[in-house]
Amino acid sequence: MSEIVVGYDGTKGAKAALDKAVEFAKQLGDRIVIVFGYAPGGYGGGEVPTHREAVKEMGEKVTQEANEVVTAAGVEHEIELVNESGAEALSDVATQRNARMIVVGSYGESPLKGAVLGATAYRLVHVAERPVLVVPV
Amino acid sequence: MESAAVPAEAEGVAPGDKGLKTGALGYLSNLVIGVASTAPGYSLAATLGFVVAVAGMGVHAPAVMIVSFIPMLLIAAAYNYMNKADPDCGTSFTWVTRAMGPRLGWLTGWAIVAADVVVMATLAYIAGVYTFLLFGLDAAANNLLDVSIIAALWIVVMTWICYVGIELSARTQFFLLGMEIFALGLFAIVALVKVYAGGAPPGSIHIALDWFSPFSLPGGSTALVEGVLLGVFIYWGWDSGVCVNEESENANEGPGKAAVMSTILLVLIYVVVAVAAQAYGGLEFLRHNKDDVLSALGGNVFGSPLDKLLIIAVLTSASASTQTTILPTARTTLSMARFGAIPKAFGKVHPRYLTPDVSTLTMGAVSLVWTLIIINVSQNVLGDSITGLGFQIAFYYGLTGFACAVFYRKELFKSFRNFFMAGVVPFTGGAMLTYIFVKAFIDNKPVDSAYSGGVFGVGAAVAIGVGLLLLGVVVMVIANFVYPQFFRRKPETVDPGILEGTVKASASVESD
Repeated sequence: MSEIVVGYDGTKGAKAALDKAVEFAKQLGDRIVIVFGYAPGGYGGGEVPTHREAVKEMGEKVTQEANEVVTAAGVEHEIELVNESGAEALSDVATQRNARMIVVGSYGESPLKGAVLGATAYRLVHVAERPVLVVPV
Repeated sequence: MESAAVPAEAEGVAPGDKGLKTGALGYLSNLVIGVASTAPGYSLAATLGFVVAVAGMGVHAPAVMIVSFIPMLLIAAAYNYMNKADPDCGTSFTWVTRAMGPRLGWLTGWAIVAADVVVMATLAYIAGVYTFLLFGLDAAANNLLDVSIIAALWIVVMTWICYVGIELSARTQFFLLGMEIFALGLFAIVALVKVYAGGAPPGSIHIALDWFSPFSLPGGSTALVEGVLLGVFIYWGWDSGVCVNEESENANEGPGKAAVMSTILLVLIYVVVAVAAQAYGGLEFLRHNKDDVLSALGGNVFGSPLDKLLIIAVLTSASASTQTTILPTARTTLSMARFGAIPKAFGKVHPRYLTPDVSTLTMGAVSLVWTLIIINVSQNVLGDSITGLGFQIAFYYGLTGFACAVFYRKELFKSFRNFFMAGVVPFTGGAMLTYIFVKAFIDNKPVDSAYSGGVFGVGAAVAIGVGLLLLGVVVMVIANFVYPQFFRRKPETVDPGILEGTVKASASVESD
């Protein structure tokens, strides 16, 4: 049984991605792996662990929403919280599991804003070793 | 069949499992970040003139650069050891809370935040002035209103950058720091060549061995301590380099060593540039241009347009410093909130940017208000702010030094190395900073000692530095009633296995 890795952070794009992933999983009979990368950005200056802890807690909360959606859809799944930033987390989990594909949402932002703020999807396309599907909002 | 939420734990992804990324942020990166965080270009621009201008300093500014480095090196050892025990890197707030109890810990957190707010004003002021100088708008650079506007804009933009979590890649940091050091180095070389080969202005003086001696200041120990209090500020920030450990190759060892190395590298930069500036410009010139020494000298040494190189170096250095100031401080308040020491809201993380948004925006807002007030109260308040900052930095670095000795107290007598490195060295650092704090307090207390006169019957530097700490004590007393849970915490000691190497330290700070 193959797996579909989906990035979920609770944003609109993530919800669209999750819906698409569920749709594919049902058709292909795949499992879903919901991934949230909780490494905080920024270097240095300390108190990084508490920052990470805070982000992780948030990840636990939002992935719980995703859990409910996928459970309701009756698709087999699991949740992975990874201590890496978004794109790396998705890419690494997908590679480890030799996933069929990675599904992420776009934030629906302008390309410039995305480039400045570091859109996960954009970065993922460059680092991923598995196929990537980007779902528009 | 469903497998419910089973988070694959962080432990599975230990540092070292991350392949390329881990290599990217190794020893050298820690070093670069440590040096970049202290912002040598900007620190020199803001401080060198004031060090020279200290009454009774004479030609001994280079000596002050060296002497200020000693307590910092000792405290770096404290960071190194606290880092071993807590490699996931809390910082002073977490460490002092664990080692010396919640009250001193809380005050440490307050001092970090206060220092950050105060430094934002000086940072923004320098950024404002140098922005105008970059475009040759010298008149605007001297206009308080114009500088205030740019300074305010600067703070807003930097806060926004930290809020949305934009960060420079390690490579960009390398580049910027490289350029900064290149500009400073070139400046020093050209200035010295001109001093000895001719071409320097009439005020220039030749280097003498006496410059490096801290024992022959005309103003004696009073002038020395005053200088060191300013000097403490220029070394401030290297702790950022200690705390990137998560990404570094050997979390328990690498960052601490990088912190020590970065301090040594900094002392070299500061001494060399101070010597060159003083030899070229002479004392009178530096005193006269104490607000922006580097830009004033740059025009002379390089001539147009090369002098812009130095201005750009200072500006990039100030911007890097803002980044390594706002986020860590926002993290300190985030940490305090999660410890239950301040309102919960500060512990909030932005869902999209994953940054501590409430903390960051509050920091930005408070800094903005402070900056606008302080810049407009007096033109001279810059110098007093830096002296005031020295108090706050000396306070929390000093406590960190003591915290290390206290935290390791049960291990100290197990070996000479433990006794010396985890006990004597950090404690001495703490004691030195305490001495500087007390002596500078006595010397700066009179109203007439400050550039900008007095506030509340004391010198402005003391009002800013010690006044804000006292305000912290008052707020802490109130916090005692609001957050009794936090203030009931008991001090801990280090796990005996850490120094023996039998226990691998892990971040184990429960935010109960």
